[in-house]
Amino acid sequence: MSSEQGARLFGLGYRGYEGARREPRWAMLTIGAFTVRRVLGLGRPARHKVLPAITLAIAYVPALVSVGVAVLLEDLPVGDLITYGEYMFFIGSALALFSALIAPEALCPDRRSGLLGLYLAGPLDRNRYLLAKAAAVLAVMLLITLGPLLFMFAAFVAAGHGPSLGETPELLLQILIVGVVAALGYAALSLAVSSLTTRRAAAAVGVVLLLFVPVIVARSAIESTGAPDTLDLLSFPFVISELSYRVFDEFHYEGASIEELSTWAIAAGAAAWIVAGALVCWLRYRRTEGYR
Amino acid sequence: MSDEIATSQGPSAVVSARGVVKRYGRTVALSGLDAEIGTGITGLLGSNGAGKTTFLSLILGLRSRDEGQLLVLGEDPASSGLPIRARIGYAPEHHDLPSELPAADFVRHLAEVHLLPRRAAVQRANDALWLVGLGEERFRSVGAMSTGQRQRVKLAAAIAHDPELVLLDEPTDGLDPVQRTEMLDLIRRVGTEFGMHIVISSHHLEEVERICDAVVIVEGGVVAHSGTLADLRRGPEGFLVEVDEQAEELAALLRERGHELTLENGVLLFAGADGDHDAVRDAVADLGVGLRRLAPRGRTLEDVYMGTEV
Repeated sequence: MSSEQGARLFGLGYRGYEGARREPRWAMLTIGAFTVRRVLGLGRPARHKVLPAITLAIAYVPALVSVGVAVLLEDLPVGDLITYGEYMFFIGSALALFSALIAPEALCPDRRSGLLGLYLAGPLDRNRYLLAKAAAVLAVMLLITLGPLLFMFAAFVAAGHGPSLGETPELLLQILIVGVVAALGYAALSLAVSSLTTRRAAAAVGVVLLLFVPVIVARSAIESTGAPDTLDLLSFPFVISELSYRVFDEFHYEGASIEELSTWAIAAGAAAWIVAGALVCWLRYRRTEGYR
Repeated sequence: MSDEIATSQGPSAVVSARGVVKRYGRTVALSGLDAEIGTGITGLLGSNGAGKTTFLSLILGLRSRDEGQLLVLGEDPASSGLPIRARIGYAPEHHDLPSELPAADFVRHLAEVHLLPRRAAVQRANDALWLVGLGEERFRSVGAMSTGQRQRVKLAAAIAHDPELVLLDEPTDGLDPVQRTEMLDLIRRVGTEFGMHIVISSHHLEEVERICDAVVIVEGGVVAHSGTLADLRRGPEGFLVEVDEQAEELAALLRERGHELTLENGVLLFAGADGDHDAVRDAVADLGVGLRRLAPRGRTLEDVYMGTEV
């Protein structure tokens, strides 16, 4: 209206900026905060908030229910409460949903819309850009992994179902390790796939395939051809799930061959997934033509 | 390495390049480019593939040169890319912008990325959008804007953090003649009133000729011509004459009457003094031919670009 119809409002006091400027690391913080808001749908139309809300609901609602049950049924034996290892099923589900359908929002649109070129024309380089993006995705994933576990921990302690004072530091450390490793793994996987395409839908399909196809392939190979159990390390969700049980020192038996592997082998498998994901993403961006 | 160029760099040089070479595999994009971009508004001209985009990316420090020396705002972008880029505003050629973001948020976000504190970024984003004529449209999403408005948003984003140097890549691409005129006026205003040095990469000679103080013409990875527009346009002394017909007869008649001239492609070129004008008038009248053009000798930017001269 103002410009196209001929009206001009130029000269409204535009002048040079002589105030303070921040250090270059603020560019990373700005992009990180911007990315967190985007993936959570904050400041965006309601449709962008649906999936993040569902994800957080999957992660937190079972914890709220568990805590509610523990509070209402004070005489409930501790053994009947959901364990932290078991709770990783909900967290794993939320992480899978987030990494497939939401996390690609962190990287894909920037290349598709040319925003990456504008970022790299500012006081950023590829590594700083990637670090900011990875930190943003990781922060939201930590909200999914650590948040419910810490909430359960605090609530169980308050309800008298928690660990003894002497066991508390160990349990907190276990929660921290599991939460960080799971978040790192899913973040690396999602960012790696997202770095290979500019389309969120393609990234979503890629993440789903990467999560589930190796599971089927590995299981089939082990069961039908007698392939070594280590092949199960290709099944990323199994690796994270099994590692969680091991860290929380919880016994479970589902008959999966990964249960036959040593904890160190599983930890190495998780580390390999994280490193491989990060490496793919870094190599992809090292070759990406940001300028256009 | 940069000391040598620093000492040879003029006091007003914003960008100094000496023997800059950039290769992509076996393809040589820049083959020893020498250029000095001064203050004010400079047009970077060249055909597709001439090396303009590569040169801009080297100025921004987004690519590393293979040989040569380059100083931007007194620093080497290869080693000081981050601090230099904080002092540069850049508007890309493409119109793809984050479609769902309101223009004000987009410009503010980029101003923050360029290290302005939040409050200042908000204020300056609004100021910049008002400046480019989008003040009342600033809360509309970029995706709902026309190409002309997006070009203005890009300009606002490039200047919101008050850079010392602004790089504009084809800033009038996709604009209709009226929008193009407005955009050029706007760029001229930004370059003259706000103390920002501007480099415009463009194909359009007439645009560059209209608003730029100086020109760098890149062809085949080297600078074919560079200098201020006034210098580049300055041709030989004298004037030229074009007639509808009988150019050779007219030349012969004028020579008979003692005037020195040359005839090139039907155009009579005089190196001499003003007195020749009267002689041309008389000779044309005597022959009864139509006088099509009588003008000072000189060059347009197109003449310079095409390598022609009269």
